Amino acid sequence: MSLRVDLLEGGRIALRTLGVNRLRTVLTLSAVGIGVATLLAIVGIIQGLNGAFARQLASLGTATLNISRRPYVVTGDWWKYRNRKQLTLAQMQALAQQSQLATAVVPEVNEDSRDLTALDQSVSAVDLVGTLADFQKIWGYEVPVGRFLTDADSEAERQVMVIGADVAEQLFPGRSPLGQSVRLDNRPYRVVGVLAKKGQILGQSMDLIAIIPFNTFLQVYGKRDFQIDVAVDDADQLDRLEDEVTGIMRRVRTVPPGEPEDFSVNRTEQLADTYRQLTGALYGVAMGVGLITLLVGGIGIMNIMLVSVRERTREIGVRRALGARRRTIVVQFLLEASLVSAVGGAIGTVLGLGAAKVVSLVTSLAAAVQPLTVVGGILFAAAVGLIFGIWPAARAAQLDPVEALRYE
Amino acid sequence: MLIKLEDIRRYYTVGTEVVHALNGVSFEVPKGEWVAIIGQSGSGKSTLMNVLGCLDTPTAGRYWLNGKDVSGMSDNELADIRNQEIGFIFQTFQLLPRETALGNVELPLIYRGMRAKERRERARSALDQVGLSNRVTHRPNELSGGQRQRVAIARALVTEPSLLLADEPTGNLDSATGLEIIALFEQLHRQGHTICLVTHEPTLAARCPRAIRISDGLIVNDGPGPQVALESRPERARAAAT
Repeated sequence: MSLRVDLLEGGRIALRTLGVNRLRTVLTLSAVGIGVATLLAIVGIIQGLNGAFARQLASLGTATLNISRRPYVVTGDWWKYRNRKQLTLAQMQALAQQSQLATAVVPEVNEDSRDLTALDQSVSAVDLVGTLADFQKIWGYEVPVGRFLTDADSEAERQVMVIGADVAEQLFPGRSPLGQSVRLDNRPYRVVGVLAKKGQILGQSMDLIAIIPFNTFLQVYGKRDFQIDVAVDDADQLDRLEDEVTGIMRRVRTVPPGEPEDFSVNRTEQLADTYRQLTGALYGVAMGVGLITLLVGGIGIMNIMLVSVRERTREIGVRRALGARRRTIVVQFLLEASLVSAVGGAIGTVLGLGAAKVVSLVTSLAAAVQPLTVVGGILFAAAVGLIFGIWPAARAAQLDPVEALRYE
Repeated sequence: MLIKLEDIRRYYTVGTEVVHALNGVSFEVPKGEWVAIIGQSGSGKSTLMNVLGCLDTPTAGRYWLNGKDVSGMSDNELADIRNQEIGFIFQTFQLLPRETALGNVELPLIYRGMRAKERRERARSALDQVGLSNRVTHRPNELSGGQRQRVAIARALVTEPSLLLADEPTGNLDSATGLEIIALFEQLHRQGHTICLVTHEPTLAARCPRAIRISDGLIVNDGPGPQVALESRPERARAAAT
């Protein structure tokens, strides 16, 4: 007898059996359904998070390199990076002159967690940046209100400032910040522009930022270590730019051939790697929970299939007497198990999508579930049924027809 | 010869004890014969019936069914032999409760891979043959015992097997209904079917042209039905008389 006949007949029997034991079927498939729903909700939220993060990363500018003493993400020996020689303005100028690919080269100095005040309002934990005009181009800042800093602001060491959207909202609620005075470390700055909102990356606001001219920064805070941002026209050229920049920097910093660099060339993609490292473990745990739920559902299926085999021992005997091969019996029970699971999977898919939707409505996370995930959910559930149906089906097939026919 | 058994032995191990269910049984059944296999419970007749039905394989000996040596066949081959050569009729009918009469009769044809339309036609005609053409869509629990056994007989006939194997076919029926079923067997015999009927009832065996008596796993008598069937009667007759 052909496998086709086995499958057709097995499917027919499976459908009928599901109809007969309705309560049992519903209970069994709900276990699988909950497992699939959990998994899908988790996958949906993860996909939503990843999508949001990818968009945010893109807003950072992808055709940019950052040269610094230390990498974006410091792992291991922090002192190694601290003891490196500082970058100098001369090195930056050499880089700007020698690079063929760079379209912009700017210095960047930073101070963390500054407090700003304006009249009766204040805001804290602001990132302070000192830089030049090209910083706007390199990082893709938009300035809907006012203007960005100019190189002339820096040369004249003007006390002017461009502020991020969150800073503007908190210092000047309902008012225009343009031309207003802001105090920072006991010095007044005049607001000349407000940046467009960038949102959050890894839970940190990108809009709690204040930018002042590079030389102003140095004059106020003293000479300090700075970073160099380098831009290229096309993100595809980033690898070539990195090679070129690394070569130039090695030369100007006189790193002997064969020695490792005493500086780091950073890319925003490294942030993506960090994101993956940070969230990977979390996702792993969440997926584990979903898988355990599915495992429980699978064991439920195995249990119910074992009961089913026992209940239908005589039926199996009759079928074997009438010419069913062992394989026919195996196929029959496997189909039954995977059909229950697949139906459970389909229901779970609907529930999981609903849960992801609710999450995206309640929180700011945009849960996204791709169509393929849905198909995958159902197929996965069917596979769970298939796997957990193997043992009961094998037991059914191993029954001795004589014994089975005599079974009461 | 439709059936040829040559020194068939079947031993089981129950715990540490070896049970000799069949101790070397040899006989032949030509095509078209109706033979009863008679014996007390524990005589080995059920084991013999299972071997004849290819549900069980003998420990030793050869068995030819319709010219094929089935004693060395694999599990799959035996399944196909059961499907093609044998029609089973059981004491407890062994119908599938969720299937209609028609569905039950169709079952062996499904395992033969026959197309639905042809299957249905043949199942209908088999039910017609046993006088149940008006019960086609009934489920077993909507049928009387006699009707259920007729459905089972239709299921056995539908594959046009070379051997009908009946195990106490009247055991679960009242005597009047039992007689009807026996009449049906007589009719099938006249139509040329080969029938093996396993029973412990001498009255039933006496109606068969030939009977084989089994005791302790051996053939103790083989001859015309009435003669073999009534052989153990003297003691009982005497017991009844006194």
